[in-house]
Amino acid sequence: MRHRFLARMSPLPVVAALLLSAQGPAAAQQAAPGSTQKTAAPAPARFVVPRTAWGDPDLEGVYTFATLTPFQRPAAQAGKDVLTEEEQKTLEEQLKKKLQENIVTNEHFSYNAIWFSSDEGRPTGRTSILIDPEDGRLPPLTERAQQLRAEMQAHAATKRIGKDQLVDSWEDLSIYNRCIGRPMPRVTQEYNQGAQILQTPGYVTIFYESMHDVRVIPVDNRPHLDSAIRQWNGDSRGHWEADTLVVDWTNFSDKQKSDGSTPFGGFPQGNLHVTERFRKVNATTIDYLVTVEDPTIWTRPFTFDLPWRGDDPTYRGPDDLFEYACHEGNYRMVENSITAAKAVRKAQAGKK
Amino acid sequence: MIAAITRAITVAVLILLATQVEAQQRGAYRAPRFPGTQTPDLNGIWQAVNSANWDIEPHVATPSAFPALLGAIGAEPAGQGVVEGGKIPYQPWAEKKKKENLEKRFSHPTTRELNDTTGDPEAKCYLPGVPRATYIGLPFQIIQTARQVLLSYEFASATRMVYLDRKPTAPADSWMGWSIGSWDGDTLVVDVSALNDKTWFDRAGNFHSDALHVVERYTPLSPYHLMYEATIEDSKVFTRPWKISMPLYRRMEPNIQPLEFKCVEFSEEFLYGHLVDKPSK
Repeated sequence: MRHRFLARMSPLPVVAALLLSAQGPAAAQQAAPGSTQKTAAPAPARFVVPRTAWGDPDLEGVYTFATLTPFQRPAAQAGKDVLTEEEQKTLEEQLKKKLQENIVTNEHFSYNAIWFSSDEGRPTGRTSILIDPEDGRLPPLTERAQQLRAEMQAHAATKRIGKDQLVDSWEDLSIYNRCIGRPMPRVTQEYNQGAQILQTPGYVTIFYESMHDVRVIPVDNRPHLDSAIRQWNGDSRGHWEADTLVVDWTNFSDKQKSDGSTPFGGFPQGNLHVTERFRKVNATTIDYLVTVEDPTIWTRPFTFDLPWRGDDPTYRGPDDLFEYACHEGNYRMVENSITAAKAVRKAQAGKK
Repeated sequence: MIAAITRAITVAVLILLATQVEAQQRGAYRAPRFPGTQTPDLNGIWQAVNSANWDIEPHVATPSAFPALLGAIGAEPAGQGVVEGGKIPYQPWAEKKKKENLEKRFSHPTTRELNDTTGDPEAKCYLPGVPRATYIGLPFQIIQTARQVLLSYEFASATRMVYLDRKPTAPADSWMGWSIGSWDGDTLVVDVSALNDKTWFDRAGNFHSDALHVVERYTPLSPYHLMYEATIEDSKVFTRPWKISMPLYRRMEPNIQPLEFKCVEFSEEFLYGHLVDKPSK
């Protein structure tokens, strides 16, 4: 399965190599006296990734991974992986209109559209973030995963009265609502989608604004943590493949499961193996290519491709990443959720 | 000829002596430079080794708050304190408030109002503030580049960014404050403002208001040590500015890396336990 994906991706470096090798003979031809052959129109300049003072590719900057492109391809766009320019323009206008309407009609919610408006990103021009499987849809679940999902749904049903999903304890809230963390790898979320990359000799550090999570990624070939050490944000080990930072990501905790807010969340992550590829493709954009594997959950690996943009007005510099004190302000939310559940249960008991 | 050689040797010896004297006068350790810059490189994983998180003032050993439950485990170790001169110069009302903080440090926050005013924020896994994050007992990593320093603490995955290349204005008060850095020789000086009034200095209830202003100094003493100093100013709570200092030690394990201490889940029963009719487990 992986091979198919690699085969899909390999043309890129090959094309780049061809472009580079083409420059040699072309220059020689120019220099050769008496040559009548005109050189072809110059190929678009290939972006040269800057280097740090110690020679690593320089990925530093402040980025956002917000995008309006859905993770999975909508049924209406089956069989189509990119939008035409016209479709893209129409889509952008529709989204803008929807947002404006939302601001006007939705002002009574604590998180209204104004909250999201500056942090929504742009559509990528593709129909889904997921690029493999080729249909842009997540691969089928294993039997174990189907069973887990059924168990979780059955458990959720025991907590539902009418349209109310009851929170009898803080443990009925998602990991995200409890301010413990966000499922990794991060994909598009509602807000605070900023991240900063810092580099020091031997390390690449990623600082995520949401949950003030920091991944200090050693790039010194050291082995992973002992498998007994499981973390919410796993354990990352990086290495450079030409201009690309490749990160091997393991040692996730099974506790990182109760949040179904990501398209592939909701499952224990203990067997998760993630391979990330960070490559700077122009002065402001990092191409973030991620392969997710867990043979106990999905019948095959999947890969998504999410741009990290450094040109977004919401995140112009490091001081646009503000302190994300979430748990510190969560007292009333937990109190209200539990108190509300008690009230609903009491009313329900009264009806019987 | 011989005279010329003698003169040359004399000059060489004098130059050598002068160089040595200069090095001695300079005295201090010179840290390696961050690649591509003239500024010292403080990158690494550092940790304070003292009992300041229990009490930044001098204190004797004390049993834990729950000896029947924990025995000798959790008892407070003695310490000589890290406050210059020993005592924090509290205003009289604040001295009383500190004692009350200590007495009520483990009271359950049964309302939000109580939660805002009572109890050690460490027990609640709230962001530890400055300077407490430095000596809360867990390591932290200095991630220093040419333009900024990210301080990444193991406790509660707390972070703060120190801006070196410019001085942006704080948009609001926060738990970890707003840090503007500069270099004084080899010392990293960090001016920390816009701190809120919700953090403590230690488990003994030593506290401050939202007028807190901290100036920290991180001075490399050797490849393995930083001297940490912090000047504390808060005209609402103290009679004068005061200072703490302590060495920070580089963690030397070859495979050292900060691990997660995401303590939110350890704090929830303490914070919200009174809300559920019976324990959830």
